[in-house]
Amino acid sequence: METLIEVQNFTFYYGESPVPALADLNLTVRRGEFVGITGPTGAGKTTLALALNGVIPHFQGGRWSGRVVVAGMDTAETPCSRLARIIGSVFQDPEAQLVATDVEEEVAFGLENQALPREEMLPRIEEALTMVGIRDLRHRSLKELSGGQKQRVAIAAALAMRPAVLVLDEPTSELDPQGTQDVMEVLRLLNREHHLTIVLLEQKLAAMAPYISRLVCLHEGRVVADAPPREILRREKLLRELGLEDPPVAAFFRQLQRAGLYSRDLPLTVEEGREELGRLFAKEGIL
Amino acid sequence: MPPASFLHNLHPLTKVVWSLAVVTAAFFLQGPLPLLLLWASVLAVAGAGKVLRQVLPALKGLALLAGLFFLFQVFLIREGNTVFTLFPAKGIGQVTDVGLYACTVLALRMLAMTSTIPVLLATTNPKDMVVAFVEKLKVPYLYAFMLVTSLRFIPILQEQLDLVLQAQRARGRDLEGRNFIKRVKAVVPLALPLLLVSIRRSRTLAISLETRGFGSGPRTHLRPLAFRPADIAATAACLLLAFLVILL
Amino acid sequence: MIRAENLSFTYPNGLQALKDISFHIKKGEFAAIIGRNGSGKTTLLKHFNGLLKPTSGRLLIAGLDTARARTAELARKVGFLFQNPDHQIFLPTVAQEIAFGPRNLGLKGREIERRVAEAAAQVGLTEYLDASPWKLGKGLRQRVALASVLAMGPDILVLDEPTTGQDYRQAREIMAITKALHRKGHTIILVTHDMELVARYAEKALVLGGGRLLLQGPLTEVFSRDDVLAEAGLLPPAVLRLTAPYRKAGLIPGVLTPEDLFREVCTILRGEDHAARILPA
Ligand SMILES: Nc1ncnc2c1ncn2[C@@H]1O[C@H](COP(=O)(O)OP(=O)(O)OP(=O)(O)O)[C@@H](O)[C@H]1O
Ligand SMILES: Nc1ncnc2c1ncn2[C@@H]1O[C@H](COP(=O)(O)OP(=O)(O)OP(=O)(O)O)[C@@H](O)[C@H]1O
Ligand SMILES: [Mg+2]
Ligand SMILES: [Mg+2]
Repeated sequence: METLIEVQNFTFYYGESPVPALADLNLTVRRGEFVGITGPTGAGKTTLALALNGVIPHFQGGRWSGRVVVAGMDTAETPCSRLARIIGSVFQDPEAQLVATDVEEEVAFGLENQALPREEMLPRIEEALTMVGIRDLRHRSLKELSGGQKQRVAIAAALAMRPAVLVLDEPTSELDPQGTQDVMEVLRLLNREHHLTIVLLEQKLAAMAPYISRLVCLHEGRVVADAPPREILRREKLLRELGLEDPPVAAFFRQLQRAGLYSRDLPLTVEEGREELGRLFAKEGIL
Repeated sequence: MPPASFLHNLHPLTKVVWSLAVVTAAFFLQGPLPLLLLWASVLAVAGAGKVLRQVLPALKGLALLAGLFFLFQVFLIREGNTVFTLFPAKGIGQVTDVGLYACTVLALRMLAMTSTIPVLLATTNPKDMVVAFVEKLKVPYLYAFMLVTSLRFIPILQEQLDLVLQAQRARGRDLEGRNFIKRVKAVVPLALPLLLVSIRRSRTLAISLETRGFGSGPRTHLRPLAFRPADIAATAACLLLAFLVILL
Repeated sequence: MIRAENLSFTYPNGLQALKDISFHIKKGEFAAIIGRNGSGKTTLLKHFNGLLKPTSGRLLIAGLDTARARTAELARKVGFLFQNPDHQIFLPTVAQEIAFGPRNLGLKGREIERRVAEAAAQVGLTEYLDASPWKLGKGLRQRVALASVLAMGPDILVLDEPTTGQDYRQAREIMAITKALHRKGHTIILVTHDMELVARYAEKALVLGGGRLLLQGPLTEVFSRDDVLAEAGLLPPAVLRLTAPYRKAGLIPGVLTPEDLFREVCTILRGEDHAARILPA
């Protein structure tokens, strides 16, 4: 498949900082991929997200070298507003990214900038709000929403624009468990049916792993692993070294493996886990 | 969420014109009484727009600034008859009738000129203001951003301050006594960190607008910000009053 | 210790965020408050230190009615960790930051020093006492915030999503500190969306939904009520979901963490005590 995002030897230092936030980073994302990116605090996830949507170098001061190319456009030479036609962004801090006074107006803002006729806006807004489960908040004032509700608005605003690529920086950090799962399901749907390319930067490995096709681990501004999630979850040492979440289902089966009670591939989801547990018990004639 | 008042419903540019008209009038009006009236008119507009209570803290701050300004200046003017002397023994701290008058006028002028800003901010979304500047006035949007970023700075600073005061209360600081000195003392050490946080946050508006495609070409509107008859009437009235003041 | 009696709260815009809530949290308990986005968790927490006052009903904390008590007075009893540490840090060094609360309690010299040292030690910040909080990473700043709350010596600790924005390791560290405090007798009230943390650390849970208290009780009980959880936008911890089919058959009951499950499954697979498992008493 065609390459959509190409990060070439990209290095970035914030202000006068002597340590790079991204160090000679290389990353290629093809059209239609659903890539998860993880790493401990300070690994450079947010910095990478900002480099993809052009906030770095257009708004964030610092020293940089290398190149970031999105859909053939060099981000350093293309204004953010142009890049926004291709790439949708959800930032880490839900509060800071909202620009309007009420929910409907917030979701409409990106559509207005795309010069969408008003009649087309209304159904799109409805659709986006429904996808993240906040249809009933449509006419509420943003100031009077809870943390998680604001975060849902930010996601809806990005979805409504139907970009070719979506970059989401910890978009579910304040969502309830069902909400987190729903957002993952929506992303999977858009990825499968509409070929939306997704770059998801997340700490919640257990919630993300079943949905992504590829997991990139960052550490101190470098890529230290890049493989299907199942393979990475097998590498307990890496998880521990980076201080990453060990998803409970995988952790349980890994313990069984170590005790010599299980030898198949590590399950990622609860459903897979149930199947494997059933198989184990059946072998022993239990239930 | 229907807008709260007619003031919220006015076009952002109408409110900017009002603001400028008040500034102009304040510049040309001379006596303390007319200036006081002008200031009262700003308060009246805020009241009619149902935001008087909301902008009251900001107005108090501005009044405080004007008061300080008055105190600094009033001792510097030596013309006219001495009304009283602060330290007669040493002969310092003379206040003259001319000084009192001139400084009252200056302070009131300053107050009237600045008081429209909080009212403007309370009734207009910064995003709408940027949009209006760029689309209607063809201001290059970099400048519109800069203007609005600096305007937005004030409410953000206020929000941050509230958060910190809340945190201080939660750790046992007794601020409920409304003791002004105590409050000031609580806030002074926070000035720098608060400024830094606020600067960082006010910059994010520009980023949020651009990364959602603002500035990439023509756009449409969910709720067109039309210049309605009310806007035309209000603008005309403001311009007319400003002219009258200049002519008189 | 903490008693809510028919507590209701309506925001100025007319939205009723809490509806007729009654509960009782005993001294030394570790209670989690969980529920969907917008269910009223933060609104409820803000009542604990008097930042919000009930519209009707009341909330008693160690006998003190929060509607009448001053926030400063409540602050001696309730330590409140805000979700964002940056909203509660405001002094140039860690030591000064921690000393702020005790000073407000009217303590002097030696006693303040003792409190600062003790609180810093509890969260492992001793070596950073002279550092500027702004130069520390977010995880450490969260600990500074926690230490500054602990230095007030509150019996009750209220934590609003203390682990969001923290990475997995930092989150675990904060929770380990919290657990140690709980062991020492502090009452802990935790709001979080992370059910794995709830399963691992809390003793009981209060489930909010649409401003009402839908359910309260011990974890195993709460997490077995799928109907209520679904209404509250919650999913039980992974281990419970994994074992759900067996629980119905009476197998592997009440297991909340992967380690416990491992132990149980080992026992079952190795046949020890096999029959007793299938036919529980
Ligand atoms: N505005 C800034 N100024 C200076 N340094 C910064 C700034 N933002 C981030 N850094 C530094 O850059 C490095 C990478 O930070 P980044 O925010 O990209 O990490 P992250 O992986 O997103 O972490 P988190 O999980 O905490 O969000 C860190 O060492 C951080 O301290
Ligand atoms: N300042 C406010 N004014 C009016 N309504 C508000 C205000 N803050 C919150 N609300 C509303 O009150 C309800 C409860 O909000 P609250 O913040 O307590 O939710 P929460 O359970 O903490 O949610 P989250 O998990 O997203 O943090 C929500 O419907 C919210 O929209
Ligand atoms: Mg980040
Ligand atoms: Mg909340």
